[in-house]
Amino acid sequence: MGAPRAHKLSGIQKQVLSLYRGFLRTARSKTPENRAHIESLVSAEFRKNSQLIDRKNFLHIEYLLRRGKKQLDQLKTVDSVRLSSSNVKLSDTKN
Amino acid sequence: MAAVLRSAILRNVRVPVVGNGSKVVSSLWAHRSSYVRSMSSHDDHLERSQVVDRIVDIVKSFPKVDPSKVTPEVHFQKDLGLDSLDNVEIVMAIEEEFKLEIPDKEADKIDSCALAIEYVYNHPMAS
Repeated sequence: MGAPRAHKLSGIQKQVLSLYRGFLRTARSKTPENRAHIESLVSAEFRKNSQLIDRKNFLHIEYLLRRGKKQLDQLKTVDSVRLSSSNVKLSDTKN
Repeated sequence: MAAVLRSAILRNVRVPVVGNGSKVVSSLWAHRSSYVRSMSSHDDHLERSQVVDRIVDIVKSFPKVDPSKVTPEVHFQKDLGLDSLDNVEIVMAIEEEFKLEIPDKEADKIDSCALAIEYVYNHPMAS
């Protein structure tokens, strides 16, 4: 993600950015402390994945997008106060 | 109609020199058009220089940015070495500053100070 790419964003890049934006927007409605926590977690996770995963590995990226959307939906529910780091790891105990 | 108006104006306007007659009429017309303009919503628009200064400040205060490199023309990724996620963060900071909500489609296009300035300046709701 570091090197400047062609100006136009691919469809999958737009989805990733849209999800990132979704997290940041949702974080705005939390307390300042929780907001900062969510922002640093989400930022770290997205950047880590951008390094680890090949940008052409669409299968993996799409998997992460689906998982991220579910996590975002959970975050949006009013009683979900903060995003704990366990939500962000690979294992999902809820299912 | 214009002729009647003109003679009404000329009848009521005291002009020291004859040559100034047309000048007075044209300044009256100019006044009239500015009167009309003040009725439109464009009067509470932000000054362009205000928009530029506020956006440049936002970009300068972004933690990953070297403030000395920031100009109103600077490109976030090409000139400041930011990535696309940083780009999202900057655009969201701009949203908060000007109390706007920028749709994804537009936000994806804003990748420089210049484009941010244009977007905000042209937005009717920016404050």
